[in-house]
Amino acid sequence: MDAPVLAASVALEDVLIVGGALFAIGLYITLAKRNAVAVLMGIELMLNAVNLTLIAFSRFVDFSRFGEGTRPIDGHVFVIFVITVAAAEAAVMLALVVAVYRHRQTIDIDRINVLRG
Amino acid sequence: MSNELNLDYSLLTPEFCLGGLAALILALDLFAPRFRKEWLPYLTAAGLVAILVLSLGWVNKESDFAGLIFIDNYTTFFRVFFIASTAVVALASAHYVQARLSNPGEYYALLVLSTIGAIYMAASRELLTAYISLELLSFCLYVLVSFSTSDRRSHEGGLKYMLLGAFASALLLYGISFIYGSSGSTFYDEIAAAYAGGTDGFELGLLMGLVLVLAGLGFKVAAVPFHMWTPDAYEGAPLPITAYLSATSKAAGFALLLRLFSGAFMPVRDDWQWMIAALAAITMVVGNLVALQQSNIKRLLAYSSIGQVGYMLMALAALSSASASALLLHLSGYVITNLAAFICIIAWYNLTDKEEIRGFRGMAERAPLLAAVLAAALFSLSGMPLFAGFFTKFILFQAVASEGFLWLAVIAVTMSFVSIYYYLMVIKEMYISEPEEPGRLQVPVLLSGLAVALVAGVFYVGIYPRHLLEVAEEATKLLFA
Repeated sequence: MDAPVLAASVALEDVLIVGGALFAIGLYITLAKRNAVAVLMGIELMLNAVNLTLIAFSRFVDFSRFGEGTRPIDGHVFVIFVITVAAAEAAVMLALVVAVYRHRQTIDIDRINVLRG
Repeated sequence: MSNELNLDYSLLTPEFCLGGLAALILALDLFAPRFRKEWLPYLTAAGLVAILVLSLGWVNKESDFAGLIFIDNYTTFFRVFFIASTAVVALASAHYVQARLSNPGEYYALLVLSTIGAIYMAASRELLTAYISLELLSFCLYVLVSFSTSDRRSHEGGLKYMLLGAFASALLLYGISFIYGSSGSTFYDEIAAAYAGGTDGFELGLLMGLVLVLAGLGFKVAAVPFHMWTPDAYEGAPLPITAYLSATSKAAGFALLLRLFSGAFMPVRDDWQWMIAALAAITMVVGNLVALQQSNIKRLLAYSSIGQVGYMLMALAALSSASASALLLHLSGYVITNLAAFICIIAWYNLTDKEEIRGFRGMAERAPLLAAVLAAALFSLSGMPLFAGFFTKFILFQAVASEGFLWLAVIAVTMSFVSIYYYLMVIKEMYISEPEEPGRLQVPVLLSGLAVALVAGVFYVGIYPRHLLEVAEEATKLLFA
């Protein structure tokens, strides 16, 4: 059991900062990249930042009001669902990207512009 | 929350039936080559109506499933609302899908599945359940928007919708993680209880959570500045799906927002009220002003629906039991009206292939019934008396003003006047301009019947709004108990 050692050395803030940085990188990729697949990767990065944050909160948040010794696992369950949804999202998105590529021979979102935004 | 979880699956019967219906449609499409595909929309609609009747059995009952899904009058209201609007869309799709889309089985099955997502968005009182339902609805819509293989705008609209939708989901989830971190729970009532005890020490996390949740859900309901996907998705989608987007997906977003903000965030009202008020103001102004310069009817209705979102957000900013029931009333009036308008547009498009506003020239001569219904729907959207739009807006604006948001109500009234201009532009084309080709068009009985039924609903809500308002009050009563 090395949990107490970890708890002493890593604080909630540290994990949140890492999560925030990951999220910011994902956000930047999503907004700056023009390739639809790269945008998808940015979104996946953002979702992983969310997972990290959720896990950190469920590890550190004070749950004493739920009674002594109980520890709801909401955060962990949430992460499982987020991972699942992210996989489904990738599947639908990649299918769509393939469909668009067949029509246009490009997946550059600046050049897919019949619609005027 | 008690430790004894209520796992009574019979509470979820209507949704199981919806799932069964979707599976049946898929199976018939796949394994029954002798089954005529033209019957699918009628089968879908018949199944939906049966499930609608079934779900009426929960009127005035109150129960919950494991604390996650609440079955009360609010849920029953939205069950009936969503199932009915899906049935209308399924019927309205019949000719369109047969003529222009392949794979009708998947189309109707996805439509039915998305209804389950919409219902649970209204019913859930827990963040994870709400999120999963939201994604169920969204995923079905992503696929449906990009369903047309012949129209190259369809895939593009779908891709843009999906990229921005997934981005919005990521923002929403990050927000949820902060709400969870600051309150220690994902159940609405526990979040409210945690926040009621004071927010010292996690004020920043709470604010970040609120901003991100609002941004994520703002994307889903298309509030400015998160509305960029709306016109493209509306224009690219097959027409019945555009109608569905403007009706169900919007209403489901508001059903979720209303339950979330009244259930979980009421104690921290001061933190979010101004955010939603600001969103509402710019949404109304931008939506209505940009609508003025549109030349495609789908884009026009997209921006007009953004304007309507502004009115509805206003009710959320001035959250009280009066404004919540006014919101439900306005939402129902808006959906009935919008579906009536879209059915006329679908019928017109089926016959003429035109969706530009100038393509509606002389509609009054070529299809007088459709033109009359479309004109009535547009008058109702702009808020003319006698039509649904007037009373629902009146009650909504009044509720907002009495909560101390008089300035928002003033903007809303001004923007309603602006909106009359662009609705009248369409009516002018239909009634004053000469038709491009002569000759009456033969409108299918199904579509004209639907249009007449919906416009009757518009007048009914407009002349006797009290009945629907009482239902809405009954539905929202528990939210503020």
